[in-house]
Amino acid sequence: MSDDPEHPLVVEELTKDYGSVVANDTVSFTVNGGEVFGFLGPNGAGKSTTIRMLLGLLKPTSGSATVLGADIRDEAALTEAKRRIGYLPAYLGFEEGVTGETVLDYHGAMKGESRRDEMLELFTPPIERPIREYSTGNERMLGLVQAFMHDPDLVIMDEPTAGLDPLKQEAFNEFIRNERDRGTTVFFSSHVLSEVRRVCDRVGILRAGSLVELENVEALLHRSGKHVRVHASDAAVAEITALDGVVGPERFTEGVQFIYAGDVNALLRELSAHDIRDVELGEPPIEDVFTHYYGSREEADEGDRNEEATDRTDGAEETDV
Amino acid sequence: MFETARYEGKRRIRGAAVLTTGVGAYAGFIIWYFTVLEDVDYEDVFNDLPPAMLEAFGIESLSTIEGFLGAQVFNFVWLLGLGLYFAYVAGGIIASDIETGRMDIFLSLPITRARLVVEKFGALLVPMLAVNALGGPIIYLFVVAVGETIPLDHLFLAHLLSIPFLLVCAGIGLVFSVAVDRAAIAERGAVGTVFLLYLLESVVGGAEAYDWIQYLSPTQYYEPTPILIEGSFEPIDSVILLVAFAGLLILSQALFERRDV
Repeated sequence: MSDDPEHPLVVEELTKDYGSVVANDTVSFTVNGGEVFGFLGPNGAGKSTTIRMLLGLLKPTSGSATVLGADIRDEAALTEAKRRIGYLPAYLGFEEGVTGETVLDYHGAMKGESRRDEMLELFTPPIERPIREYSTGNERMLGLVQAFMHDPDLVIMDEPTAGLDPLKQEAFNEFIRNERDRGTTVFFSSHVLSEVRRVCDRVGILRAGSLVELENVEALLHRSGKHVRVHASDAAVAEITALDGVVGPERFTEGVQFIYAGDVNALLRELSAHDIRDVELGEPPIEDVFTHYYGSREEADEGDRNEEATDRTDGAEETDV
Repeated sequence: MFETARYEGKRRIRGAAVLTTGVGAYAGFIIWYFTVLEDVDYEDVFNDLPPAMLEAFGIESLSTIEGFLGAQVFNFVWLLGLGLYFAYVAGGIIASDIETGRMDIFLSLPITRARLVVEKFGALLVPMLAVNALGGPIIYLFVVAVGETIPLDHLFLAHLLSIPFLLVCAGIGLVFSVAVDRAAIAERGAVGTVFLLYLLESVVGGAEAYDWIQYLSPTQYYEPTPILIEGSFEPIDSVILLVAFAGLLILSQALFERRDV
């Protein structure tokens, strides 16, 4: 297939079946040129499996994909395309004994380093020191530098901000937005809803090996709701949980917690009508969002035990070696 | 070109230095020991040993420095020690990168799997060439230092002809390395295989009905003692080793291309 700048990443019914688990089940989606695409899903949903198939590390059981026009089953074409791909794996296994500088020199010699200095101003791993002295965050920054230093057209990242401190995370988000504005296509996986919300144009949601939904970020933002935790009397709790939009209330000794997907003003009015000892409003854990919108985890697990063809197991990522 | 081999090769330099120093020190000790034994009529001692044992340890003529070096240094260190060492190290080449997740980064670079295997294996030439190119002169200097002489061309050949043999041992390790997921298992499998082949050759050499088994072992095709004493060797032996090595390398590439990492 020829290189199509409109669609740097086209995934068609990609399936990876390990026999005991189906890590990816006919996953299909397309990433448009110049967009930031978030690949969202809980841990173990199979995100890494998809990404590692896209880079030719794993062979698909069936289906295929093209990356910058190269069929992932065609090693020669994919190898050539890798000159224009940046990759940040979930686990960075840099050689412990060498310095960051040595790693970057090697990567530079292999794929180019036109933006190396620029990247090292943004992300600041101590490149003169050996990798074994690096913190997780430093290692991640070195990973980001090597992923972008050759000015790739497409960047694929697996959980890019894991281990970065909040300041560097914010710098990363801004950097990704700037990259998109320069025309770079970015595809990254995450299990953190807020991260995806802040930087992605579109998201694909993977759950238990299957793509559940493709949507834009506004829709996701609208649908995901708030996580609410209220400390109040039993009577107050009863009235609050009777509100429209309260999902999955769970009682504990001093109050209740639930996902709220209704009008925020209605919630605030209701809360102000009671004697509230404490309240927390925050982002819901991603698994709760899934539970609410796509059925409970228990149902999916039940399906696995019954080996129903339609249900897929979690935990597939642990088997990717 | 060869960026990966260069990158990996640099990381082998320290190991190569340690290996060469260790082998050199051992050779120095053995050569000094030869001078101590000179007054002893130790050929008598070995005449009491069964012929199979003499053959197994490649003991031919212990009264000369060539024969003594052949038995004590080349048969023990080069045939057995270095053979096992390179099988072991090669066993870790690919398997350890897969186990640690480092292979993800390597394969995200524009390099084919077949080429990656060759370049990573190529880095092993650093210790392999160092231990011969530096070990040879070290041995020669020690021999001269104790007032003995050894034909330079024989010593050179003994080192040169060990390279195809060591390549085959490392090639066995490489096949394990691409076929197995865990480095420890690949390393043990490679060492065990080379050791087993060494034992097989030693043991069945005397039994005529099964003497074909000895031809499976790479140790059959590199005999340092006759090279050191007489300068005699069969060129076909080296050709067989090189062909076997090429086969192991191609097999490793094919296995690596087909697997998930």
